[in-house]
Amino acid sequence: MPLKKLHILVVMRSCSDPRPPARTITRGAGICDRGLRWMVNPSDLSALEEAVTLKDRLGASVTVLAVGQERADDLLRLAHSMGADQCIRFWDHGIENGDSVANARILARVIEILSPSLIFSGNRLVDRGDDPVPALASAMRRIPCLASVIELRISNNGIEATRKVDRGGRQIEKAEYPCTVLFEAVAIPRYPSINAIADAVSAPILSWDISNLGLPFWKTGSVGSSLQLVEYGIPRPDPARVATPDASMPAFDRIISLLSGGIKAREGKMHTGTAEDMTDCIWQILQEEGVAP
Amino acid sequence: MMFPYLFSPLKLGTVEVKNRISFQPHLTNLAVHNLPSERQMYYWGERAKGGAGLIITEEMSVHPTDMAYEKLIDVYHPEVIPGFKKITDYVHQYDSKIFAQLNHNGQQCDGSISRLPVWAPSPMPDVLFRETPKEMEHEDIEEVASYFARSAIFVREGGFDGIELQFGHSSLARQFLSPLTNFRTDEYGGCLENRLRAPLKFIAAVRKAVGKDFTLGVRMCADEMIPGGLDLLQVQEICSHFENSGLLDFMDLSIATFYNLYLVEGSMHTPLGYTIPLAAGVREKIKLPVFCTGRINDPVMAEKVLANGQADMIGMCRGLICDPFLPKKAFEGRLDDIRYCIACNQGCIARIGMNKLLGCVQNPAVGREKEWGEGTLEKALVKKKVTIVGGGPGGMWAAKMAGRRGHDVSLFDKNEELGGQVLSAMKGAGRDEFGVIIRNEKDQVDKAGVKVNLGEVMTPEKLLSQKPDVVIIATGSNPKSYPVGGADGPAVYNVLQVLNGEVTGGLGQKICLIDYDGHQRATATAEFLTNQGKTVHIITSSLFIGAELGPTQDLYLSRQRLLQKGVTFTPDIAVMEVSGDAGAKSVKGFNVYSNIWDEWGPFDSLVLAMGQKVDDSLYMSLKGKVQELYRIGDCVAPRKVDMAIWEGHKIGREI
Repeated sequence: MPLKKLHILVVMRSCSDPRPPARTITRGAGICDRGLRWMVNPSDLSALEEAVTLKDRLGASVTVLAVGQERADDLLRLAHSMGADQCIRFWDHGIENGDSVANARILARVIEILSPSLIFSGNRLVDRGDDPVPALASAMRRIPCLASVIELRISNNGIEATRKVDRGGRQIEKAEYPCTVLFEAVAIPRYPSINAIADAVSAPILSWDISNLGLPFWKTGSVGSSLQLVEYGIPRPDPARVATPDASMPAFDRIISLLSGGIKAREGKMHTGTAEDMTDCIWQILQEEGVAP
Repeated sequence: MMFPYLFSPLKLGTVEVKNRISFQPHLTNLAVHNLPSERQMYYWGERAKGGAGLIITEEMSVHPTDMAYEKLIDVYHPEVIPGFKKITDYVHQYDSKIFAQLNHNGQQCDGSISRLPVWAPSPMPDVLFRETPKEMEHEDIEEVASYFARSAIFVREGGFDGIELQFGHSSLARQFLSPLTNFRTDEYGGCLENRLRAPLKFIAAVRKAVGKDFTLGVRMCADEMIPGGLDLLQVQEICSHFENSGLLDFMDLSIATFYNLYLVEGSMHTPLGYTIPLAAGVREKIKLPVFCTGRINDPVMAEKVLANGQADMIGMCRGLICDPFLPKKAFEGRLDDIRYCIACNQGCIARIGMNKLLGCVQNPAVGREKEWGEGTLEKALVKKKVTIVGGGPGGMWAAKMAGRRGHDVSLFDKNEELGGQVLSAMKGAGRDEFGVIIRNEKDQVDKAGVKVNLGEVMTPEKLLSQKPDVVIIATGSNPKSYPVGGADGPAVYNVLQVLNGEVTGGLGQKICLIDYDGHQRATATAEFLTNQGKTVHIITSSLFIGAELGPTQDLYLSRQRLLQKGVTFTPDIAVMEVSGDAGAKSVKGFNVYSNIWDEWGPFDSLVLAMGQKVDDSLYMSLKGKVQELYRIGDCVAPRKVDMAIWEGHKIGREI
């Protein structure tokens, strides 16, 4: 595929700002939407940055897709100001409460309609963690999908990507067009100019719903889902290891070990000095405790 | 929210508890005629009102042979049901759950109360009750199991949400499990499988009686901490067996036995959260929700234990006796308002063990929640100008209560800070936490709108010139100036002078402490001196040093520390005279039993813990000159801090 005709679809998602203040719901297992700050998923922004860089370098065309209610227009306008050529917001009330497979059907259909040469998105959501929808949609379209990508090289035949793998390793993989690339939040998104931001305010945003996709309603939303939410809960925390009295010790020594505040006696110390001395001192204590490297 | 783990719900069997705070079982002595009482309803209800997610009642006797204490509820007859219903309905209105604890104390029982032989796995007397039990026959074991089941039915009928079986520090089940108390050679003794037989029989009987849809758990002793007894390894195995039975929904934990009761009810000298390593050890081996109890008296620590995965539920006992509203205040982030327990054990442990009604040094409303509980304080009909002299615990409580009722209150103290004698007491070795009494009240006095005047010596003239409507004198007490012949001689000091660093001329190296106190005043001062490298000898007229420390569970560890620090003791001596110069002091006295005189010395100096006398001069000079004049605390008669607070609280409500 000639590079000039590269068409990149960037899937962008908003997520909740994980920094406090956040309130919990569903007995502590979920985060209350009301009053929560929303942000563009950072790795999605990196994916967009990669796409518009390719546009600058190779003249690719960039289409951005966001799924959500009108609030999602904000992130599409941001995408437009950063250099996206076309912005599509998809929403239909029927798709609410769909599981990942049902949602992936929507994205797969969008990919089918737009036929992009590359599909970019972020690797993880900053609030929920993994989102399998882009990978599932790629699988439905029988398109290769590369996750955890930190570097991408383009050629006429396909792409070559450097991926993060286990234990800090790196893996280089090749794929032919079309393919899906899920980026780590490595590329720093550009800061759009004031003119670009002003243009984006009035830029057209295509609004699609289920009728634009030609998908039957029973394949989306809760009706099209195989999974049903039964209950939210909080997992039992894994125990932090504490020294328990050694059962082989005599009872008297076990008592002493408990009453000394654990196996290691409690220590309280006074340190005085200048702020700099104190910084060094705290650092040294943290090192002794194995907290600092 | 400040404490997301602490205020997350937990499922225990079929019951969901709204948060991770459980008000743990403990004696109250509030039952009447061995039946549930209205006082208990208000007592447990107050803790539910205060936000505890779970209340576990005190142990209830399942069998006539189990009469460890006079005022337990006998749960094995249906007369308990109406009382239970009142209690459970009252607790449920606050969205809290309530479990009943069922127990047979086995050998840890008093046959002189029940007039029946005490039953146990083997005829070995308990160290505390010292009564040789009857070795249980097979039909006895069956009978106890059937009584457990019978009692469980009445508990369920009574509206409880669950049952906890006491297999902990004081229980027949533990006696079966432990090689320390089980010497049987039949199928109930010997190997672990056999020792488990009776406890599993009790569990199975109760489960059968209550059905599968009722929450049932066990309170297990995590480590008996005595040679030959159960240790954590064995308990982990036992807990796994209990879990594998599939009959239980949770695992509550306690520690130790009556050989080392000071570990069951750890006092101020034990570290906060001292049982956490044991709970964590048990929790590693089983999947049932595990409780952890033992000096976890603040929400920050509780949250940490939960977040670290060392327990699933935090048991609070004394923390909630002291401040029933700790959970609510923690939930609202009002940590400054929490009245923290200091584990002095004087009002709770020391009283219940002596068959007195449960109390709390810092919470006079314990057991009187109906009259004095939350929401009972009424605004004063007439606003009065109230002057309180003395900013010790009694004065602070009087000021706080009167201020809350809308009076115009001024509090005067001659010192530069509030606290009175607590300021000195907290200087004793290991008694720092006693000072938390001041921390707990100081803010509340301010919040009640009290005008606090420190460093001001109040004279009758100055006081009368302010024209108060009510005067409350809380001037406390001072050490007796001449408690024994020669006390006015050189190098003779009282404990307060020593603790406050008011000794002139030095104490020297070799010190004799004369102890007529028997309490912390003497022993904590002796330890304070040894910590400074002094050599201390204690003479007392009591049978032993620290004679008053037994009920508060301070005796064992205090004596252990004193001995480790080289303190020597002479008991049974009535000291009649002290004499000599500094560096050559001698003590003369006679043995109270043999009447033989003796002399001890030479010592570099003498320290006297020989009693207090009232400081009532201000009160006496105001008598007849003020419309309403009251005195409270030590200036009425020198006693302990609990009475100062009690009287301060009472007068603050009444004026």
